Amino acid sequence: MPHLVQESDRTDEVLISRMAAGDERALGALYDRHGGAAFAVAHAVTGDAADAEEAVTDAFMQVWRGASTFDAARGTVQAWLITIARSRALDRVRTVSRRRRLLESAAAGDAEGLATPLSSPGEQPDRAPERAETAVLVRRSLEALPAEQRRVVELAYFGGLSHSEIAAALEEPLGTVKTRARSALEKLRAWLQPLMTETG
Amino acid sequence: MTEHRWLDDAAAWALGTLDEAERAAFEAHLADCELCRSAVQEYGAVTRLLDRMKPAAPPPGLRERIVAEAARTRPGASPSAGRRWVSLAMAATLAAIVLGSLWVRERQARRRGEDALAAADRSLLDTRAALAERDSLLATFAGPDVRTATLVTTGAGPAVRLFWNRSMSRIVIAASGLPTAPAGRTYQLWGIAQGSNPVSLGTFDPGTDGRATLALNVPPGMDFALAAVSEEPAGGSPQPTTTPILAGAWRASE
Repeated sequence: MPHLVQESDRTDEVLISRMAAGDERALGALYDRHGGAAFAVAHAVTGDAADAEEAVTDAFMQVWRGASTFDAARGTVQAWLITIARSRALDRVRTVSRRRRLLESAAAGDAEGLATPLSSPGEQPDRAPERAETAVLVRRSLEALPAEQRRVVELAYFGGLSHSEIAAALEEPLGTVKTRARSALEKLRAWLQPLMTETG
Repeated sequence: MTEHRWLDDAAAWALGTLDEAERAAFEAHLADCELCRSAVQEYGAVTRLLDRMKPAAPPPGLRERIVAEAARTRPGASPSAGRRWVSLAMAATLAAIVLGSLWVRERQARRRGEDALAAADRSLLDTRAALAERDSLLATFAGPDVRTATLVTTGAGPAVRLFWNRSMSRIVIAASGLPTAPAGRTYQLWGIAQGSNPVSLGTFDPGTDGRATLALNVPPGMDFALAAVSEEPAGGSPQPTTTPILAGAWRASE
C-alpha cells in the first residue's frame, strides 16, 4: 500500500486547524479518512465492537478538544489519532475485563451476550464459527506478546501507521520499532503455525 | 532464523508499513534473496491470520454521533455530559447481588441516548432552586406514595436515609456521619432501575457536622429498585466513576 505521506499529512493538518477553529465538519472529514483505522485498532485491542466504538468516540473527542494543541513537529495527525484511539481502547479493556470477571464469577455459566464473535458481511454462514474461533486464537496470541511488540503490531497493522510514524509517536528509534515488529511476527508465526495452511 | 539485515524490512513489508523508498529498495533486494522471499511468505501467513481480527467496518451512525457530540462541545471545553454505562444484560437479576461490584470506572464510556441524563442534569439545576424552599421538605415526607431507602455500608459508618415522594418526583436525603469529601470531590446520589444504567439524582455535600438534608428532583416516570451514593469529582459525573460507599433498596414506606 503506497504511503502518500506528504499530501495526506497536509490534508489532515488543514482539517485539524479547521477543527481548532470549531468546524465540526472537519472532524467528520477526519473521521472519513481515519475512522476505519481507528476503529480497527480499537477493535484489535478490545475485541468488542461496542467497546471499540466507545474508544473511537473518545479518541475523536479528545482530538477535537485538543486540536489547537496539535504539533506537526511531533508526528502526523494520523499517528496522533491512532495512538490516542489505542490508549482509549486500553482504558476500556481495563474496565471491561474487570466487569466481566465480576459478572462471570457472579453468574458462572450464564455469560450469554458477553462474548462477541467476529464476523463480516458476506461471509459464508457455515464458515463463521471456524473463523470466530481462529480470531480468538489470534487475539490471544497477540495479547501474549510483550507489550512493546503488541503495540507496534496494533499501530502498524490495524492502525495503518508506517514504521516511521510509530517511531516518532513512541519517541523510539526506527530500527527498534522495526525489530519489534519482526520479533512479534516471528512469535506469532511460531504460536499460530497450526492454523496456517498452504492456501492461507 | 539466521540474522539478516533485511529481515526487519521483510516484516515491515508484510505489515505494509514501509514508506515508498524503503519499499522499492526492499523489493529490489527481494528479487535476489531467497531468505527474504521465504521470510515474506512466513510473515504474510501471519498477517493473513491477523486479518481475521480486522472488523468489517465501523458501525453505521458512529460518524454522525461523533460529529453531533463535537457540535455540542467546542474545542477546549470540558467533555459533554453524555456518557454511557455499558448495559449489562443480566443486571436485572444480578443487580442486588453485585451492585457494588458493578460500579466500575466508566470515564471513557459515552452514551448514545443522553436524554435521561440530560433530564437528570436539568433536575439538578431545578434542585438548586428548590433547596431554598426548605419547607417543602416536610411535604416530601408525607403522602400515600412515599418510598424510603436506608443506604448502608459495612461496619460502622455513615448512614443515609432517603425519602422518595413519587407523586412529587422528589427525593429527600437525610445523611449523618458523612466525612467531608476530599477537595475537588463531592457525593452523588444515583437511582438504579432494574436492567438500566444508574441515573444521577444530584450531588450533595455534608456540613462540618457530617449531616446533610436536602431535596433532589427525580426524573418523572422512574421506577428505581436501588439507590446508591458514590464519591465523584466536584460537579458530579454523568455516570459513576467510583465504587459506591453506600447502597440500598427502595421499600414502600410504613
